Amino acid sequence: MTRLGPLITLGSVLALAVVFLLANTQAGKPGSAAASVTTAPTTTAPTTTAPTTTSAPLHALYAGRSSGNQVTVAIAINGHKVAADLNAGQASEVSLQGSVNGSNFTLTSHSGPAMTGSISGQDMFGTVTGFLGQSFPFSAAQAVVEAVYTGRSSGNQVTLAVATDGDKAAAYVCNGKTIEAWLQGSVNGNQVSLTGTKGANLTGSLSGLDMFGTVTASAGLSFPFSAELSPRPAGVFQARIAVNGLATRIGWAVLPDGTQLGVAVAGTTKYPAPPLDLSNDSFTLGGASFTAAAVAGNETVVSP
Amino acid sequence: MTSQPVAAYPARDQYAKPLLVALLSGCGVALALGLYAKLHHPTKYALDVAGFSSPLYAKAWLTTAAVVFAIVQLITGARLTRQAAAPAWMATVHRWSGRIAILLTVPVIIHCIYALGFGTYSARVIAHSVLGCIFYGAFVTKMLCLVRRDAMPKWVLPVMGGVVFVSLVALWATSALWLFATKGVHS
Repeated sequence: MTRLGPLITLGSVLALAVVFLLANTQAGKPGSAAASVTTAPTTTAPTTTAPTTTSAPLHALYAGRSSGNQVTVAIAINGHKVAADLNAGQASEVSLQGSVNGSNFTLTSHSGPAMTGSISGQDMFGTVTGFLGQSFPFSAAQAVVEAVYTGRSSGNQVTLAVATDGDKAAAYVCNGKTIEAWLQGSVNGNQVSLTGTKGANLTGSLSGLDMFGTVTASAGLSFPFSAELSPRPAGVFQARIAVNGLATRIGWAVLPDGTQLGVAVAGTTKYPAPPLDLSNDSFTLGGASFTAAAVAGNETVVSP
Repeated sequence: MTSQPVAAYPARDQYAKPLLVALLSGCGVALALGLYAKLHHPTKYALDVAGFSSPLYAKAWLTTAAVVFAIVQLITGARLTRQAAAPAWMATVHRWSGRIAILLTVPVIIHCIYALGFGTYSARVIAHSVLGCIFYGAFVTKMLCLVRRDAMPKWVLPVMGGVVFVSLVALWATSALWLFATKGVHS
């Protein structure tokens, strides 16, 4: 005797499975409102999403964390090259390098940890292996973060800090004594282009976590430079104050290790900037205490 | 004469073929699920079930509900097997609790294999992936055994039911229980 009941049960399970699979296929398409990320919420830092691009981004930053929230990841993509930073708290930070193939990427490091994943529109998903003896699935979102790139010219003549916010950029370059320039510009793909007054300009390209280019502090003073994506306290700092009745503008380029170079300008006089207390962005000049402000990439630092 | 009487074998011939078909079908399903989950590129996207904090919790609670129905299955199945004169409603309860339990797992397995795939990054995940394949393979085998249950020996259904039950509870323990234990019990 053949019973049909179990076959009907099997059939209904199969039918329900097909319905769910089809529904998921529809929901999984990028841009669908019904889609949701299965892993833990991404980035904690306030980020703005980039304009939708039709193809894989040429240059993009992604920030996110592992599904168990043990590791934060920062990933920079530049063409076929990709660089990443893994961070699981103090003293456990690893840099990885790799390549992008289509929408998939693979990264390795000298110390062991590796990373694989794929890019899906504004999101990326993947797995970190061999980090702290474990593997972590992670997700990250494309983040046009307020990034800061800091570095020096190849001959160490000048120090510079470039703040970016989306496609906008503001920078300060100086030697701590007499050379200094404020620059304003934009980030277009992996190309960075800023200009200032008196012939000052900066052109560079982003490559992974690095920025390479040439900076001109003033006509005739051009230097090739390299800078890298830098965490706090790195940044561009500025103060506009009155010292002895003189309108004075002070700029600082601060490197991630706290090293800072700044120049104060009052009229045509230039002198080394006072040290900036990075714990509260304060400084003293002429016996008075002042506060400097970190400059974001979208701020106006060069008067039109 | 050294050969056994041919008449001693008909009983086995009666069930050997359907049992073999059921077992091989179950193996095929388990293998197909595992291969699809491993080879298909995980999308990481899946439908969200409303009312839960995350898809992970939706899956955990669906699986937990399935386990509750599976316990009903175990109790009623044991009585149906042991007692010839089990009340008629017990068979109905057994059938429907089973159907509900398996249907509850469908959204979960689709999410598992479609969005996540066959994971191998920890012992728990490997065990869970393998158990998932075994569970659906065993379920298919049991259903196919039921189709010809009159021809099957009495031990077949309790054994297959036991495999289905144990693999489901193990699936639950390697996913929902793990989630509740590490992230807390909430919706």
